[in-house]
Amino acid sequence: MAKQKLLEVRNLKQYFKTGKDQVVKAVDGISFDIYKGETLGLVGESGCGKSTTGRTIIRLYEATEGEVLFNGVNVHAKKSKKELKELNRKMQMIFQDPYASLNPRMTVADIIAEGIDIHGLAKTKEERMQRVYELLEIVGLNKEHANRYPHEFSGGQRQRIGIARALAVEPEFIIADEPISALDVSIQAQVVNLMKKLQREKGLTYLFIAHDLSMVKYISDRIGVMYFGKLVELADAEELYRNPIHPYTKALLSAIPLPDPETERVRKRIVYDPSQHNYKEGEELSFREITPGHFVLCSEAEYKQYKAMYT
Amino acid sequence: MEKVLEVKDLHISFDIHAGEVQAVRGVSFDLYKGETLAIVGESGCGKSVTSKALMRLLPTPPSRIKQGEILFEGKDLTKLSEKEMQEIRGAKISMIFQDPMTSLNPTMTIGNQIMEVLLKHQKLSKNEARNRAIELLQLVGIKNPELRIKQYPHQFSGGMRQRVVIAMALACNPKVLIADEPTTALDVTIQAQILELMKDIQKKMGMSIIFITHDLGVVANVADRVAVMYAGKVVEIGTVDEIFYNPKHPYTWGLLASMPSLDHKDEELYSIPGTPPDLLNPPKGDAFAPRNPYAMKIDYELEPPMFKVSDTHYAATWLLHENAPKVEPPKVVQERMRQFALSSGKKGGEFRG
Repeated sequence: MAKQKLLEVRNLKQYFKTGKDQVVKAVDGISFDIYKGETLGLVGESGCGKSTTGRTIIRLYEATEGEVLFNGVNVHAKKSKKELKELNRKMQMIFQDPYASLNPRMTVADIIAEGIDIHGLAKTKEERMQRVYELLEIVGLNKEHANRYPHEFSGGQRQRIGIARALAVEPEFIIADEPISALDVSIQAQVVNLMKKLQREKGLTYLFIAHDLSMVKYISDRIGVMYFGKLVELADAEELYRNPIHPYTKALLSAIPLPDPETERVRKRIVYDPSQHNYKEGEELSFREITPGHFVLCSEAEYKQYKAMYT
Repeated sequence: MEKVLEVKDLHISFDIHAGEVQAVRGVSFDLYKGETLAIVGESGCGKSVTSKALMRLLPTPPSRIKQGEILFEGKDLTKLSEKEMQEIRGAKISMIFQDPMTSLNPTMTIGNQIMEVLLKHQKLSKNEARNRAIELLQLVGIKNPELRIKQYPHQFSGGMRQRVVIAMALACNPKVLIADEPTTALDVTIQAQILELMKDIQKKMGMSIIFITHDLGVVANVADRVAVMYAGKVVEIGTVDEIFYNPKHPYTWGLLASMPSLDHKDEELYSIPGTPPDLLNPPKGDAFAPRNPYAMKIDYELEPPMFKVSDTHYAATWLLHENAPKVEPPKVVQERMRQFALSSGKKGGEFRG
């Protein structure tokens, strides 16, 4: 089966003005594709721009530069209300903090059905409630929960409500911004299993943003690593863990403690120092393919070196 | 080994308008000199309440130590007056909290905050205290300490702030350091630095650490022994190898199995069904029974006692009773056990800690 591009991100930039002449380059020229039905993981440390990338893709922020194509349609181009609505239906988001992302004054049914109402997906009240009940069932909650308020639920249950809300409008693409970071280990597994199951059943495509690298590896087909607004490496999940090439990726992977005392006793941490590249003045960095499907941000000289080392 | 701290049958409840929340329901453990004991468990299992009780930081009311003892240097900390407790708190037992932003005073310089502890407990002159503060900042790896002590918390990054908090906690050479999720708010690379720093300082100063966390990777990295808590009780305790490679309690199995392992990608993650019990009305019998796929009839009737597995390893599950049927732990856990059998055969059953 040929892989079909669902989302194309081209040289996306998101700069924030923070003072008179100060600019934070939160996202600084990144490009990648997401294929239909896959999960692309995006990892990096706080402040690297991974959440900003997600939010810019879905147009919560207007991009400073670059474009995002969804099924070939430019997300950031001028659109009629109708076109915008249609796009919003196909792209949904799940947020990190299940305590802050649900309106405390709305019942669960109204939270979930808000999208249904906006997009007119239910013709009658009965149909609307029927849909809400179905969604609650899909995410492992039940009918009785529909008339309650968010504060009556635990973190894991709230995240399920957030997922139900995203699913309500039958999206093709879901951006999950650290959906499990705020949850306990045993609940994390429940939510990840649910997301995987939904992907299988509905053919969803995910952009999964996280800093927990072991969960990202588990859920993702491919993983991109971000550092200071730039994508420094992109590869198959398995490949990235087995053969990290960029020194930052190596450092990041070497810093994760594994639940295995034996390996922990011998683990050596690699420290990344951005000056270790010794880039010369005017040397151009670009995202180059080292082995098939494995891209690294590097200079021409590094490219030759990596090529020699890894192929 | 020398015991530094003994917790015996500790019960703590919170009286709220809806009734009595039994947050800690009979916790016992010892802390030895120079060791790191990790306490793991989900939110609400009582791990933070236990640690705050050791420092007597829980406000009364609503909290209430119903029963039990905390023995430290021959004294029962639960019986001390606030004044007596102030002699111990910060000097002999100190604590690091999760969020370094909220545990530092934003209106005081870093230097004054560290000196405050020294002036209070060690009767140093201002000048001596200042020099000691500089030394401490050096110890926790902060460059230019002479300059840094004049700065405010907002001028430090998250990782640096946590270093300052550690410096404050270490100021009086405490015997016991309680670290309540000290790295949860930090990025992995910063977390790795802080963990290395803590281990390094422990080696130099020989204090005992109680490390509270829910991250099993961190536990494997820092702990000598591990106590697993569930619904206000310690359900399993043992050396780090015993807990990770030879766990006996189904809850520990569930925790270990719900972490994705690096080679099993296509299988569904093992997940513990349901949610922790409501401690306003703790269930009869074993509190874990409703979520336990291995639960037997007796689990709903009678609470299991601590069964002995080895001199260092105990678990509270009826599965260890001689009349219990043999059960198979989840596959991932079985694999861990096999590895353990192999490697302990090689090492002749040698343990750390």
